[in-house]
Amino acid sequence: MADIFVNKAPKELAVIPFYGTAAVFFFLLCVLLFLSATELTGHYFHPSILAIVHTAALGWGTMVIFGAAYQLLPVICERELFSTKLAFLSYLLLTIGTCGMIWSFWWFDMGWLMITSGTFVVCSGYLYTFNLYQTTNDSNKSQVNQHFLLLSAFWLCFTTTVGLLLAINLRYRFIPQNHLDILKLHAHAGIAGWFLQLICGVGAKLIPMFLLGKSQKTRLLYAALILQNVGLILFLADGYFNPIGLRMLLYAILIASGTACWLLYIIDTYKHRARKNVDLLMKHAGISSLCLSLAFMFIPIILLYPQTKWASLYGTLIFLGWITGIILGKTFKTLPFIIWNKRYKNLNGKIKIPMPKDLYHGGLIPYQYYLYLSTLLLTCAGIVLEQANLLQITGILWIIVSLVYGYNVFRVIFHKSQVTL
Amino acid sequence: MISLTNPYAQEQLRANLALMEVIDPELNINIVDMGLVYGLDFNDPKAITVRMTLSTPHCPMGDAIEQGVINVLQRAFPERQTKIELVWEPEWSIDNISDAGKEQLGL
Repeated sequence: MADIFVNKAPKELAVIPFYGTAAVFFFLLCVLLFLSATELTGHYFHPSILAIVHTAALGWGTMVIFGAAYQLLPVICERELFSTKLAFLSYLLLTIGTCGMIWSFWWFDMGWLMITSGTFVVCSGYLYTFNLYQTTNDSNKSQVNQHFLLLSAFWLCFTTTVGLLLAINLRYRFIPQNHLDILKLHAHAGIAGWFLQLICGVGAKLIPMFLLGKSQKTRLLYAALILQNVGLILFLADGYFNPIGLRMLLYAILIASGTACWLLYIIDTYKHRARKNVDLLMKHAGISSLCLSLAFMFIPIILLYPQTKWASLYGTLIFLGWITGIILGKTFKTLPFIIWNKRYKNLNGKIKIPMPKDLYHGGLIPYQYYLYLSTLLLTCAGIVLEQANLLQITGILWIIVSLVYGYNVFRVIFHKSQVTL
Repeated sequence: MISLTNPYAQEQLRANLALMEVIDPELNINIVDMGLVYGLDFNDPKAITVRMTLSTPHCPMGDAIEQGVINVLQRAFPERQTKIELVWEPEWSIDNISDAGKEQLGL
């Protein structure tokens, strides 16, 4: 018998609901983008923009990331997930909380529904962090990927807690600082703390697995971890006591340098890969990295020029470029495997069975890729040129992208075993 | 490589053919060409011990591959129990992949 415990695949309940619900939220996000096309180039502190951003950040990005993290934690920590029940509870809280928040932002009702929903999201984040901490705590391996995951979870808790305080502040004012300045700190703790560090940590483990590549330059990952956190802490400390100004560029450069270190590690892995054929799903990740790099480059423009369209473009590159790009690609590199494991694991070697890639409609992936790419480019063009009609058209295109993606996600989730012994 | 002077050469050949039916679900090539199988031991008349590795430690597909090995060897050698000895040394690398496997992966 195997002397090392191998059966690390988590239970479906800890993963599948997140993917399915995120696909629904992605569709909702695209519908909201269509309905708010005229507001997209305006100020970000607008009910519909706040609703869109929180749909993207919580319903779409965080939802998928929770599911993927629960699936990959056992791989990264080399032990079982601490609790499937807590994982499912975090799902329930995140889903209910996000629905309430979207509704409250859309109608700008900053009453009890918003505060209760925000509390649910905060609790979900703390449950996720507790589950993650317990899983890594029991692990006998200490890897840089785990440090990325733990720190990103800390930033998630920080971001959601500050977000809840901001929501309460809109109802019962108690924060002495400018609300919009604190909002910027909240947003960037989420972007550079939660999303960036989690994607860096998981990406540094997954991308080499998919490419069958290895890099010995682990120091680059430690440099990324340190630079990103130092830059973010300095930004938050300075931004809390002083108005946001051009010196923030210094902290952005620190975070960007950290991200560049991570990218160098990925490039090194890519150069030393065994799999020469890079499929479209991996190309999604390439676009995603490009969007993140462009977003960093836009920071000086946002700080120098007051036009709101640059902030909109920055947000678009972050949420629809970087985060959406990586999710659209990575979903079909992770989700089919957990379903396949459940349906076919015991039949492997007994009879001819479908492979994980056969669980989704592979023929739709090129359509998804090129439609996504062109829609993203048109959206960026619409924002820069401030063309509401073009943005309305891209809203329809985004809905089509979400339907293509959603079809494949549910095709995988509801896959029935097609073979019997 | 199977040595013909090996007293279990015939069994080794049969086991290798059986193990070629176990497919790595991610790469879609069999585990023999993938170079995951390090050795087969037939010394115990009631058992086969497979010394093998995975491409990544704690690969999420590890248990599926392990189950596949048990399934094919039980069918090929119903009189023997299959034992799997999972090892991480030597670490799996691209060099382990056979020429046929490299061709399938487009290397």
